[in-house]
Amino acid sequence: MHTTYVLKRLLQIIPTFLAVMLLVFLLVRLLPGDPASAILGDRATTEIVERTNRELGLDQPLPVQFLIFARNLLSGDLGDSISLKVPVMRLILERLPVTLFLTVYAAVLGVLMALPLAVLAAVRRNTWIDGVIRGVFQVGLSLPVFYVALQLLTLLGARLGWFPIGGYGEGFGGHLYHLFLPALTLGLNLAAVLVRTLRSAVIEVLTAEYVEFARAKGMRPRVILSRHVLRNALISTVTLLGLNIGALIGGAVITETVFAIPGVGRLMVDAIFGRDYPVIQGLTLTFAVLVSLVFLMTDLLHARLDPRTELS
Amino acid sequence: MNRLSRATLALAAALSVSHSLAVTRGGQLVYGRYADSLFLDPVLNDANLDIWILTNLYDTLLQPTSDGKGVQPGLASRYAASSDGKTMTLTLRPGLKFADGSPLTAADVKWSLDRARQPEAGAWSSSLASIDSIAASGQTVTLKLKRPDPTLPAALATFNAAIMPQKLFTAAPGKNDAEKAKAFAEKPIGSGPFVLQEWKRGSYMVLKRNPYYWKKGEDGKALPYLDSVRFEIIPDDNTRILKLQAGELQGAEFIPLSRVAELKRDPKLDMMLYPSTKVSSIFMNNRPTLKNGSENPLSDVRVRQALNYATNKDALIQVVTFGTGKVMKSFMSSTTPLYDTNQKGFPYDLAKAKALLGATKYKSGFEVSVMATSGSADDLALLTAMQQMWAAIGVKLKIEQLDAATKTARYRANDFQMRTGAWTNDINDPSQITTYFAVYDNIESVHTGFKSAEIDKLFEQSQQELSRVKRASQYRRIQTIYQQAAPIVYLYETPYPVALLKKVNGFVQIPLGNNIFAGAWLDK
Repeated sequence: MHTTYVLKRLLQIIPTFLAVMLLVFLLVRLLPGDPASAILGDRATTEIVERTNRELGLDQPLPVQFLIFARNLLSGDLGDSISLKVPVMRLILERLPVTLFLTVYAAVLGVLMALPLAVLAAVRRNTWIDGVIRGVFQVGLSLPVFYVALQLLTLLGARLGWFPIGGYGEGFGGHLYHLFLPALTLGLNLAAVLVRTLRSAVIEVLTAEYVEFARAKGMRPRVILSRHVLRNALISTVTLLGLNIGALIGGAVITETVFAIPGVGRLMVDAIFGRDYPVIQGLTLTFAVLVSLVFLMTDLLHARLDPRTELS
Repeated sequence: MNRLSRATLALAAALSVSHSLAVTRGGQLVYGRYADSLFLDPVLNDANLDIWILTNLYDTLLQPTSDGKGVQPGLASRYAASSDGKTMTLTLRPGLKFADGSPLTAADVKWSLDRARQPEAGAWSSSLASIDSIAASGQTVTLKLKRPDPTLPAALATFNAAIMPQKLFTAAPGKNDAEKAKAFAEKPIGSGPFVLQEWKRGSYMVLKRNPYYWKKGEDGKALPYLDSVRFEIIPDDNTRILKLQAGELQGAEFIPLSRVAELKRDPKLDMMLYPSTKVSSIFMNNRPTLKNGSENPLSDVRVRQALNYATNKDALIQVVTFGTGKVMKSFMSSTTPLYDTNQKGFPYDLAKAKALLGATKYKSGFEVSVMATSGSADDLALLTAMQQMWAAIGVKLKIEQLDAATKTARYRANDFQMRTGAWTNDINDPSQITTYFAVYDNIESVHTGFKSAEIDKLFEQSQQELSRVKRASQYRRIQTIYQQAAPIVYLYETPYPVALLKKVNGFVQIPLGNNIFAGAWLDK
């Protein structure tokens, strides 16, 4: 039953994909300014701009351009970057793992911070501990990502010298070390979102009748916490995490710039400023697929944690 | 010879020896760039991001001097023009090699220049347009010209005239020149001081020393001194500075001018302000009507002059460049060859501005809009200061913030009233900036719409004038006419701010922007 569900959901990605494809193709071309001008800069003559646009096939009518784009896409070709003159697929394959690493790292750090603190805040609700935890994360939530990033860089990177200032590093260990500060930046932001919701979820479970019943049965609080409360808290965490993956990738755009990380976030920003149509299109499609997959995984995990969920 | 003079001589000898011994070889210099290169082909590229790396990979027949004002021998040890100015003969140095060890011949030179001068070859081909044909024999390359061309030595010292290995390039996969260029640019081989070893796009680029480089260092051995240069891409200004201060970088470019004073005080750093050719100005639309058909006050020369006089450059230099800039007095920078030192520009004179404006139909002022680049703190600081300055003569300045591509699209369509803009030269000659700023037929004087028949004529003459004195007088006149017509608001010149660790020696960024790592070395 699960297999058919997954297959059905995967098939559903295809129309989403097609819609995004058409939408991004049109939106990108609605932007004022053309790629040739963006690449050639202020000084190019009109003839050179026109010639470049012709070479890039941008002088063709929109439907023709779209058909070429769609045809190439079906054969797995995202085209070449206009400014970098290399295949978009190669750029994405080079850079996507970096952003995914950072995103997962940030999610793990975020959950590791949020889970125990949310439970603690819930268990000790309305005490000073609860107040401090909620207060700190409330402040964290209202600080802009770039500001937190710079503060962490200055303190833990430059002043104390504990972590490198930016870069990606070599090998798994190197990535973990180099990406710690950016992952922490994003993780703090995520934790701030999670703590609030998790705390109320835990409180809800703690006051639920079955927990009262378990307590009355003489079950130890630790067991209650791990068996009932955490399991239920995880359900909401997973859903929230899934919903926040998009935000995390958005946050990665800023963190990747501040921390000089060669991920897709920065690639996207450069591509938009440079009106590099194929790169923008390729990345948007990649994001669409990724987010669809994350939602699917979220639902599956949700079902796993909560047997009441019906997958259909 | 008495003892004293002998001792002096010995001391002098010792000093000169110790001076050359002081140069240490080896090591890697890590340099922080604000953005990565795009495409490393000298002919088909366009961005400064590429040019400033290309000059390390490829050599040209002639080279710009470090002060940016002249030309010196490069791959060619000698060059001479015939008396009628229609032939130039260049002699290659003996034993030149590309970075893979293969010989660099006159045939490579002919092929490279032929490729660079064909009209399809990108935006730069016009710099070599005067060449009619090229002949190569032995060590000699002869250029036959359509007309005498005083700009040719400077053009031959410019990146697009780089000499490439014909055999390797034509052997690269691809159906045509553009495709071969794509393949070759992945692993370019030139004869410059360095060769590309590794390039992780958006992250870093490593250049290692070219063991076959022809130029000798102070110790008599081949340059460069460094084993390699590693460029780290760090787009955020603050991060670049933090990394430099933490010793993870040895040099960092594009230091924000707001932080220059602070870094000058840092005992570990040399905060360098290299003279550049960068001029910043406000481009005005000089046409009688705007794109939407409405009347344009800026078409009146007295209005444009009034705005120039009402602009307090010294104050702007303090506000925007934190005192690092200097007043712009000609449309070309003071580092440009044939810059006229007698140019007055527009000194701040509010009374004159009021009088000029008072003589027009805009006595009580008018509203004018200016396009700024969104996100540029400099543009915003500049324009808000100018808002106040111009308010004093009744001119209301409306700031329109647009992203760079939109801004470009708007002024390309002549759909603007004013816009911020900066310029740097790529060629060691005043002709480049003049074709753009003052000659209508190229791009309508950077889309200002300014047109002067006299400038057009003078410029055409100057493009064939072999006497430097006469050429200088033509350029003096061009600069004067331009200033009187005031198609732009003259602002300031700014340097290239580069911060280096104290242990870095011998690095220089020349006014054209080229980063010269060949003579750089690190203290042990």
